[in-house]
Amino acid sequence: MADFSSVLSPREGEIHVIAAAQHIVKALGANKNLDDDLRKILSQLDSHLSAMTLLTTESRGTGFREVEEQLKYAEEKIRSWESNQFLLWDSDESDPLEASEFLKAIDEIQALNEGLRSLSVNGNGKQKELLNRADSILQMAMSRLEKEIIHILVKHKQYFQPKNMSFRSCGMDVLYDESFVSVEDIPSEEALQRNSSGKESDNYIFDLVHPHVIPHLKSIANVMFGVNYDQEFCQAFISVRRDALEEYLVILKVEKFSIEDVLKMEWSSLNYEIQKWVRAMNIIIRYLASEKQLCDQILGDYGFVNPLCFVEISKGSLAHLLNFGEAIAMGTHEPEKLFRLLDMYEVVADNLLDIDALFSEEAGTAVRLEFHELLRSLGDCGRATFLKFGNAIAANASTRPFFGGGIHPLTKYVMNYIKTLTTYCNTLNVLLKDQEAADPNPVVEPENGQGVSSITHCQMACHFRSITATLESNLDSKSKLYKDGVLQHIFLMNNFHYMVRKVKFSELRLFFGDEWIKEHIVKYKQRAMSYERATWNSVLSFLKDGDGPGLCSASKAIRGFTIAFEEVYKNQTGWSIPDPELREDLQISTSQKVIHAYRSFMGRKSSSISEKYIRHSPDDLQNYILDLFNGSPRILQSSRKK
Amino acid sequence: MPATDNQGSFLNRISIRRNQVVSMDGNHEQELEDLELFQKHVADRFADLLSQSEDTLGDGLLSISWLRKLLDVFLCCEAEYKAILLLGRDPSQISKPPLDKLVPEFHDRVVKALDVCNAVSHAVETVRNYQKLAEIAVTALEQRPIGDGQVRRAKKALNSLMILLEEKEGSNHKSTERAWSFGRRSTNATTSSSKDRATSASQFRSLSWSMSRGWSAAKQIQAMSSNLVAPRGGESSSPALPVYIMSTITVFVMWALVAAIPCQERNGLLTHFPVSKQLGWAQSIIALQEKIAEEWKKKKEKNRLAGLLEETQRIEKLGVSLIEFADSFQFPPDADRLEEVAVQVAELGETCKKMEEGLLPLQQQIREVFHRVVRSRTEVLDLLDQGGKATASIM
Repeated sequence: MADFSSVLSPREGEIHVIAAAQHIVKALGANKNLDDDLRKILSQLDSHLSAMTLLTTESRGTGFREVEEQLKYAEEKIRSWESNQFLLWDSDESDPLEASEFLKAIDEIQALNEGLRSLSVNGNGKQKELLNRADSILQMAMSRLEKEIIHILVKHKQYFQPKNMSFRSCGMDVLYDESFVSVEDIPSEEALQRNSSGKESDNYIFDLVHPHVIPHLKSIANVMFGVNYDQEFCQAFISVRRDALEEYLVILKVEKFSIEDVLKMEWSSLNYEIQKWVRAMNIIIRYLASEKQLCDQILGDYGFVNPLCFVEISKGSLAHLLNFGEAIAMGTHEPEKLFRLLDMYEVVADNLLDIDALFSEEAGTAVRLEFHELLRSLGDCGRATFLKFGNAIAANASTRPFFGGGIHPLTKYVMNYIKTLTTYCNTLNVLLKDQEAADPNPVVEPENGQGVSSITHCQMACHFRSITATLESNLDSKSKLYKDGVLQHIFLMNNFHYMVRKVKFSELRLFFGDEWIKEHIVKYKQRAMSYERATWNSVLSFLKDGDGPGLCSASKAIRGFTIAFEEVYKNQTGWSIPDPELREDLQISTSQKVIHAYRSFMGRKSSSISEKYIRHSPDDLQNYILDLFNGSPRILQSSRKK
Repeated sequence: MPATDNQGSFLNRISIRRNQVVSMDGNHEQELEDLELFQKHVADRFADLLSQSEDTLGDGLLSISWLRKLLDVFLCCEAEYKAILLLGRDPSQISKPPLDKLVPEFHDRVVKALDVCNAVSHAVETVRNYQKLAEIAVTALEQRPIGDGQVRRAKKALNSLMILLEEKEGSNHKSTERAWSFGRRSTNATTSSSKDRATSASQFRSLSWSMSRGWSAAKQIQAMSSNLVAPRGGESSSPALPVYIMSTITVFVMWALVAAIPCQERNGLLTHFPVSKQLGWAQSIIALQEKIAEEWKKKKEKNRLAGLLEETQRIEKLGVSLIEFADSFQFPPDADRLEEVAVQVAELGETCKKMEEGLLPLQQQIREVFHRVVRSRTEVLDLLDQGGKATASIM
């Protein structure tokens, strides 16, 4: 395979050159002023000419000698730099002039090289030898440049520092616990933080390599591409930049996990890793925009090479992020994961347009599609987790009544959970809408009335109301566990009241609507009334019975009343109404009812009641009623001793 | 490809027939027939792979095109397996013996297989680096006239390639900035000291391993095959069999990928995992396994474990020969020697072209396997979830 023939014979080549030159002369004649670009091109031509004229002179022999001289001169220059201790573009020690001299020497060799090549290769041995020397020197120079690029890129690498670099794990979490003991009201801090750690609106582009070396890199790229050493250039460029990105992931504390690791990980660690991931994702996408700019600056003139290099640089690191996301989406659907899943979904959804733009070229198709796939997986998993949450509420069963009739942890958990979900309203609506298209039995309520806020009718609102309805029916079953029917009322009143308060004083208000609030206020008020009736009607009936004539019956009535009251006291001081206002309201209305009846009975019958039967004054009773529902059982013993 | 058409009509048949069948007995008979068909398809597909492995034109055993076919076979078998396991089956059956134990075991294997997919997919990048270095050598040596410059350029690239190929398992440390700090040293391009070689290779070596520290492909394969037991007696016709078949296929495919492509920690990679010789469908798999194991042992003796990928081996062989040429090169070149070299360069170029055309699609296909396996796992888990709910509501 000896293909030594050159494309043009020297004769043909000359004809072309002459034609082109005539054209230039003509064009220049028409124009008296030179602009910068044109001047540059012409001076380049000049330097080519100074190298080439020699070859076209009639005496080839002397021509070669002069070429040889020139070659020798350029070779010396390059060799002297080659043995130089310092790198040419090392800003501390080197002279910028030297660098441009070096590039100029390469230009000269390249011009000689081209000139030699344009001659027939079947020429004499001298020409071949000169060409060999030129190629050899060129190779030496390229090898040197390869090292220079790596050095410049490493030395002038800059770290991307977005304004919002600080990372704080939000440890506060709505925990789902079998015993529900760990549930407390979550501060709204989480919601606040979520928004602040979200995507910054500015398109912040950072210089990943110091701007003053960009022209150096560009001129090296020009030279290397010019002599077909583009492969070496790209390899060096890609590998340094790829390492920088990997290093940056380490700075962002993104760790590498296998899918197996992720699936086995404890929730607390997983929670932490997810938060790091979300933050890293936000930052990396902006980092990549800067990386893209760097590629554009240096490789922008070389067509498809540019996006190809960009994809090569970013692909590996993005694969880590993608895989972690996929691993999370493969996990089980515990309700506590929902918020983190939605965080992940949102960060991908928010950045998807940017990702599409960054990887719009063909080379980036795979990366782009992977992100769309990840968004789908996270969405599916988030939706399944949300739906499972509803099932978990229905399935939560107790065997023993909740102590004191207070607010059940399940109620707190559910209400705080959905309250936190309101910050994810848009995302959840999108996910649930997707589902409804596929689900034959969607949760849809009939539209009622006009002018109601549209939020009240969004997918999420319907799901919320369906969730609280499930909660209510679960609470209803839980209330049946109390042997004392009266305590059922207190329990339900407390829990309904808690739900109403949570809805009324948060964003949930918008989702549930006034209608729901009104209905549920009625519900807990009814429970309060039922309580009063069930407890006090029988106690007060003693006084009614005592309204008959005679001393005996009045005394008996008081005694009966007192015993009954003390019994209630013993029981109901142990009961609990955690909300002070609700407790006070119930105590006041109880007082009004009981004290009023007691006082008027005493007023009417004081003469016919023996002193020894009257153990408590109306004022005493009033104070005793204030002891009710505090959750610590007490007995009215001191009064019995009287 | 024909296998896919085959699979489509097969799935249709299963679903149509299952819908027609009403009685339990009929259903069982149908199941046996489907199982029969599945085994036949598996046997046929792997027999095809076995016959292709004989190809001597570079597309044989463990070539890129062979691996791509292997992954196609995997995808077809997987679709059929899923149909047999799920279509027309009462979900509650999956939570009863023997499936209640076998399906979770299968999923365990599947998760490990996913990690193997990721490691291999990442390692394909390393193979692409081999390709890029080889391409530089091709570019240089294709130039005419050929001189010291071209030869040195090729040699530099090939030396880097050899260092990459020689890299021992697990010795791939993340290159840090230190690796780049050669700048203070005077370098003479004409003498290629070993230090120089290491430097130029370091930029290609920089790819760090993809997985967490301590993750080992060899151990994963070991773990995947450790509890792989063929169903016995009455179980051999039940749904236990398709689970076993698919498990075997999964282990085999992952093992072949790991053997071919140099991914993280392959020390102690199994050369043999137990597949019962009596099973008709497994004959070709066993034959292929033996062939690959043979190759693996040969390579191991030479202590060269860059992977059994046909293209990698070819590059290595040609690279060694071209470095010899470069070492003995003197200007002006000897015309006969040049002709010899031109043939080798053409072959290297051809191999690079195959890699250029095949590696990214292979990587994509590995990703496809990944997503497919994830989706199937999710489907089965969802079904189990629903099955669990159904049982709970009955109770």
